[in-house]
Amino acid sequence: MAVNPKKLRPYDEPPKVRRPLVPDTPDSAATAFLVVSVLWLAAATGIGVLWVATLLFPGQVALNLELQLPIIGTLGIDVSRPTVESGFMNALVFGWLSNAAFAAICFVTPRLTGERLRDDRMGFGAMGLWNIGVAAGLAGVYIPIIAGSGPLGEFPLPAKGLMLLGAVTVLGAMGRTLMAGERRLPYVSLLFFALGLLALLGLLTISAAAQFFALDETPMALVNAFVARGIVTYWVLGAALGALFYVVPRATGSPLASGGMALLAWLLWAAFAGLSAVGALVDPSVPFVITSLGSVGTILLVAPVFLAVATLALTIHGRWSLTLGTGTLAFALVAMAFLLSTALLEAIGALRSVQGLVRDTEWEMGVWLLGLLGSATFAFFAILDHAAPRVLRRDWGGSIAVDTQLWSTLAGVVLCCFALIGAGIAHGSLRAGGAPAEEVQATLSWFLMVAGAGLGLVALGGLAALVALFVMYTTARRAEYVPNPEASAGELPAGAQTAH
Amino acid sequence: MTVHTPIETGSRGIPGWALGLTVFVLLVGGVYFAGNLTGENPPIVAQPSPSGGGGGLNAVAIVNEAGCQSCHGPDLAGSGAFPSLHDVENGPVSENLVDFAAEHPDDWAEIWIAGTDPAVSDPGMRGGMPAFAAPPYELTPEEIAAVVEYLESLP
Repeated sequence: MAVNPKKLRPYDEPPKVRRPLVPDTPDSAATAFLVVSVLWLAAATGIGVLWVATLLFPGQVALNLELQLPIIGTLGIDVSRPTVESGFMNALVFGWLSNAAFAAICFVTPRLTGERLRDDRMGFGAMGLWNIGVAAGLAGVYIPIIAGSGPLGEFPLPAKGLMLLGAVTVLGAMGRTLMAGERRLPYVSLLFFALGLLALLGLLTISAAAQFFALDETPMALVNAFVARGIVTYWVLGAALGALFYVVPRATGSPLASGGMALLAWLLWAAFAGLSAVGALVDPSVPFVITSLGSVGTILLVAPVFLAVATLALTIHGRWSLTLGTGTLAFALVAMAFLLSTALLEAIGALRSVQGLVRDTEWEMGVWLLGLLGSATFAFFAILDHAAPRVLRRDWGGSIAVDTQLWSTLAGVVLCCFALIGAGIAHGSLRAGGAPAEEVQATLSWFLMVAGAGLGLVALGGLAALVALFVMYTTARRAEYVPNPEASAGELPAGAQTAH
Repeated sequence: MTVHTPIETGSRGIPGWALGLTVFVLLVGGVYFAGNLTGENPPIVAQPSPSGGGGGLNAVAIVNEAGCQSCHGPDLAGSGAFPSLHDVENGPVSENLVDFAAEHPDDWAEIWIAGTDPAVSDPGMRGGMPAFAAPPYELTPEEIAAVVEYLESLP
């Protein structure tokens, strides 16, 4: 058919630039991890609200289904307090916090080494593998026939395999970038990230191996307790400290106060985080002295946390006015406060006398959530606030959504965690006094209502983070990189400052 | 394009107070360790396992939801005035249940948990054990049977 080229319209022309299925532009991996992490935050806190409902109304918020499927046969689905609790913790740790940590690694490594991430396609693929694994694992938690057991060990084996592949790929991308740089480990942040990521790989491997070999109940419970504690102390705490060590000097524009203190904090954390995981091995089959050594590790973790917080506080020193209002430093400051309080409460909880009182009460969950939703979440909020305008290249000055993100999450974490900690103390005391079940339940319900309200506020904060990211991407003015590689942030045009 | 932006450090040294504090915390840890060399660990609590239980039902989940641990201890081995639920296969631990178990040798545990038998619904006789077949728990006979099967599996 003859076509008159003069009558072709612009929409007849195909796009000149074809976007590949797997993006390879700089920061595409960091962007993907960052966006997915915020989605997981909203999902995890939503499951958290459901979890508190199962605590408040035992037996009423539950769903047990038996589906008849053509090939599989009968498939049971169990949505009850234990499975919802598993879903909440896994979505929080592997969904929100791990994706945020991967985003931080993909964002920080190129900027400290001066090399592009090698490469962003690998990072993007890792994001896909990890998140397919987490999503499949979360679905598996509710299907008893395929679920694993133990805290952070409930995912089915194939899901853990996908997550391992994803984590290995991130480690490969990070390692290749470091090898290409002039200095292999130029800054303490990368030491925290690297060891945390290696530990995550090792611990996931141990968890998967235990599930594969179908250990007996007690060894399996011991492995799961060790792995869960190790993931929190090495991976979550390490990545949070790595993020804070990067973001605080950047946001203040001041050099890190003491490289020596930061390195000492890293060395002590590397030693005591592992020892603390040994403290989770509480069983007659484990020598008492070994468990005591582990408890000492938890107590000693106060030292590296204090040194890290002190170094960061000294770095902010003289620039405290920057922490007023909402922004990167405000998030970082809250994270530092929660880090110290979590370390102190965990040290108190590691004492044998306290353990006897609060073991298997709400205390454990309260302190865990203080670390995960308090310290780590705010550390990643800080790097999210710093990184999002740079990876999305938007000149972002914050909004009411960011204010809501800060204050709602802060109030929610304080309410939720301290209500659970209080519930744990009350529960332990009533149990020791031999109070009847009705009295225990009636007392706990007050604490649990406060915790539920707190978790609701955290969920609102997570939703606000998602809205802030969306508003930034859709409405903020575009900022471009300045081509001069020697340029520093202070020398850039005002409109482009947020892109560096 | 990636711009290399190293982070400078103000000092490479470690302040004396930081070293002193580290040594102090290490000493506290050492003293605590020295005071906790002997003793016995409690058994590790079986975590709520989606696959746990008997009769195809999630007995561990039912036990957790019903809150059995709040009276009978975290590992169901007894706490204060509340008896151990281990070894129920060999009969009740509580003396006030011995006669009752003799009358209902096959299903005394089910009846006791359910609290539905008029003969045992007397609060004084039942010793404070809630009727788990009644609100707010409303456990079904199958769920109670699964719990009993699970309790019988506890050594």
